[in-house]
Amino acid sequence: MIRNYFKIAWRSLWKNKTASIVNIIGLSVGLACCLIMVLYMQHELSYDKFQQNGDRLVRVIMEYSFNGSPVTKGNFTSSKVAPSFKRNFPEVEDGVRMSADGDRLVKYGKKLFTEKKFLYADPAFFRIFSFRLVKGNPAEVLKSPNTVVLTRSTAKKYFGNDDPIGKILVVSSNKTNFTVTGIAEDCPSNSQIKFDFLASFSSFGPAQEETYFNANYTTYLLLKDKNSITSLQAKIGPFMKKEMVSSEGTYVNYELEPYTRIHLYSPYDAFEPNSNITYIYIIAGIALLVLIIACFTYINLSVARSIDRAKEVGIRKVSGAFRLQIFTQFIIESFIITTASLLLSFTLVAAFLPAFNQLSGKSLQPSDLTQPGVVGVALLIDLFIAFVAGSYPAVILSKFQPVKVLKGGFRNTSSGLWLRQSLIIFQFVISIFLVIATIIISAQMHYIQNKKLGYEREHLILMNLDFSIIDKADVFKAELRNNREILSVSSANSSPVDIVGSYVMKRADMKSGQEINTWGNFIDEEYVKTNGLQLIAGSDFTKQDVLDASHDDYTRNVFHFVINESAAKALGWTPEQAIGKQMFLGDRRPGEVKAVVKDFHFASLHTPIEPLVLFPGSWGSTLIVKVSGNNLAQTIRFLQNKSKQFAPGIPFEYRFMDEDFNKLYDTETRTTRVFTIFSSIAIFLACLGLFGLSAYSARQRIKEIGIRKTLGASVSNITFLLSDSFLKLVLIAFILAAPVSWFVMNKWIQDFAYRIHISWWMFALAGLSALLIALITVSFQSVKAATANPVKSLRTE
Amino acid sequence: MIELKHITKWVNSGGNRVFLLRDINLTVNEGEFISIMGPSGSGKSTLLNVIGMLDEFSEGEYNFLGQPVHELKEKHRSQLYKSHIGFVFQAYHLIDELTVYENIETPLLYQNIKSSERQAIVADILDRFNIVGKKDLFPTQLSGGQQQLVGVARAIVAKPKLILADEPTGNLNSKQGEEIMELFRKLNAEDGVIIIQATHSERNAAYGSKIINLLDGRVEK
Repeated sequence: MIRNYFKIAWRSLWKNKTASIVNIIGLSVGLACCLIMVLYMQHELSYDKFQQNGDRLVRVIMEYSFNGSPVTKGNFTSSKVAPSFKRNFPEVEDGVRMSADGDRLVKYGKKLFTEKKFLYADPAFFRIFSFRLVKGNPAEVLKSPNTVVLTRSTAKKYFGNDDPIGKILVVSSNKTNFTVTGIAEDCPSNSQIKFDFLASFSSFGPAQEETYFNANYTTYLLLKDKNSITSLQAKIGPFMKKEMVSSEGTYVNYELEPYTRIHLYSPYDAFEPNSNITYIYIIAGIALLVLIIACFTYINLSVARSIDRAKEVGIRKVSGAFRLQIFTQFIIESFIITTASLLLSFTLVAAFLPAFNQLSGKSLQPSDLTQPGVVGVALLIDLFIAFVAGSYPAVILSKFQPVKVLKGGFRNTSSGLWLRQSLIIFQFVISIFLVIATIIISAQMHYIQNKKLGYEREHLILMNLDFSIIDKADVFKAELRNNREILSVSSANSSPVDIVGSYVMKRADMKSGQEINTWGNFIDEEYVKTNGLQLIAGSDFTKQDVLDASHDDYTRNVFHFVINESAAKALGWTPEQAIGKQMFLGDRRPGEVKAVVKDFHFASLHTPIEPLVLFPGSWGSTLIVKVSGNNLAQTIRFLQNKSKQFAPGIPFEYRFMDEDFNKLYDTETRTTRVFTIFSSIAIFLACLGLFGLSAYSARQRIKEIGIRKTLGASVSNITFLLSDSFLKLVLIAFILAAPVSWFVMNKWIQDFAYRIHISWWMFALAGLSALLIALITVSFQSVKAATANPVKSLRTE
Repeated sequence: MIELKHITKWVNSGGNRVFLLRDINLTVNEGEFISIMGPSGSGKSTLLNVIGMLDEFSEGEYNFLGQPVHELKEKHRSQLYKSHIGFVFQAYHLIDELTVYENIETPLLYQNIKSSERQAIVADILDRFNIVGKKDLFPTQLSGGQQQLVGVARAIVAKPKLILADEPTGNLNSKQGEEIMELFRKLNAEDGVIIIQATHSERNAAYGSKIINLLDGRVEK
């Protein structure tokens, strides 16, 4: 019997190839989306699960304040925490101090790379964490100073197939030698600790002294019992009070944070940025939504096909089939379709995973699909769709009465029509919402890209200067200026794209305590010119201004300031009044205002323009080069040669200012892409559903159409008659979607201090495109029905 | 064997009661071959559907093999017709996706007959109807007469006591029609199957042992 079900299902799917393919494609697109998100969530939720001691591991969070200042809290701890806690608390089995200290230059022979994952750890590291060593003794590898463990692929990168143990690597510009003592497996991608190099903590000279101050490290503790977190936490407060007795006014306390909760729940980053459980919920929600849309499409397409099957159902019933048997038959058909879709969706996932990785910053592999958990979830989803989406058409089909369907063809029944229409409306509400969101986000991004920011960002090349160049910066800059294609060169702390130095300022006549918050950036005499900033009062810095502020003995420094309009206003001056006024930047920088610069956007457009003080300084590490744009490749080669000449052994790296600018809007760019993708998929699926429903309706009304045609209706009359009702559905969907999208997008755009005005055309555009796409979809069916020969349709009786 | 007493059927249409069948009394005994005649709309098909339990009736009593059909539940009724009645349609109503063999096999599937047994029964029927060579063809590859042959084969495969045929030759030419009627006669005479057919044609009606004339839902005397 079962075999027979499968045979019939297969034959009828095969016979209606187009319908089956449309159905399978629709479902597999939905399923693929869903699966990708399942993979994403699975990866996020699996973070650090491979740590065998995971439930006994905690990270120590420090909070402190001096003399009643507000409490500062963060993922940093000092060098004494681990050893002292281990000595004083019986609950603590072991502790490890770790540090990430920025990028490191690593050299072996001729090989030289900038390494971003260079961490330091105490010898206890391999005892506490479940990172596996391939070579080396876990207890010994990190014992002595200046030893380092490499991961397998890093070792390969430097040493090829040679045995790395005992080899010497030269690290950083201070040329420390590190001996390789061990090789570890590459860190799993779902680990919050990821290292390519793990050096011994004892390599840090100053860290050997045990102190509660200088909190520059991360401390992890391994507890003896996973349940002792609370009891240990209770002891820490009183213990630290005792430890701090000698330092009056100092409050230091520590909080324990379960290691496995850090990635998704902690506000404090691990060695890489954390994720957030909220994202997981949002993604699960989107996955569910896509699944629902796909199911709706499936239902509408299947119901559309039910007319073709009506006769068969009638015959089967007359031949003695019970309703349940008919139902089972169609559920099995549904199961075949969903399974085929599932297989296809696996292929789709494999094909689109690289694109998704780029979007999400993950490195998911197609092979992740074969994990039992993922396969299990996929099968569950498959069964769920087969049954839930399959049962509605199956119920409809098994309800057919033989007398009716065998005699006189299929009669128009409007039962369940409202449900199918609601499904379509729901799909279009989501699609239109996504389209409106996409339009608004894109418009805002366009606005950002084209807004006059008050500085130039075309033809500007940025480089980070090595310390060895900064010493000779003037000579270096002078040599660069010799090149015809280089228009000007400036060095500063940061480029105008993103100034992050935070200072306080006050007028000379203000009392201490009245300081005003401001942003600050030290620059050289060519900064204003190179970046195209506009002075509205006063005059630009000269070389002398820079020299005046660069004495080795800082008490001799005299400062001149270029402040922006907002700063002038905050200090109570008009731009003209400001010139020559005395003011302080912090305590140590007394000076006078030399110029006022027109406000420019030195942060992302999320924030309004705030006060900014530019002050002279010659030790800026960001080099800003304005080029003509001609012979760009040659100019860059020139820059490379010069920087090699001044700083041999340092890799040459440059970027365009545009790239820095775009980085400010990374999230928005990603959001735009995600929304574009999802709105396309949602529209696509909604149209498939609409296609199904219109096919169904055209079939149901075939007799009516025949009669109308014999009475003289034209093709366009009929096409309009059939399309009309569907366009109404889209219209209803639009009316529902528009206010919701307005509300949501209005919220979103409030995030920008500088933003576009949400205007009616954005909604009109979305509504019209949905309408147009729907019209095209529906007209496939209605034109076909309208041009059909009425003799055929009327002959049935 | 079949006993209809005062069977009446009406439907409500726009507030009016439209009678499809009025006070039908009919007794059919073993081995009978009955032709129902009458113009279009006289109620022939309705009567066949009522006898076949595909359709309800509004009043009266219907006993089938001693079972009071009017008192049975839906499920019982299907059980009853499933095992005792075969249907033949004017438009053949074969399932297009199935081969000749599988079409004939379908009723057996729904009676939970074992696979080996099904094979034997279907092979036997194919042989009897002389269509062994066509068993792997699909309905669309057959002529109308051959399709109806398969339709009849399917109707009798489960060994019903009664065959209901609604205009079985309506879509066939006279020669094909004659063959089908001959087949009915043979089934009636050799296997003792009761046959009730509805027909427009006097000639085909003459195959029956008894002719009932319907007009406006009534039996004409």
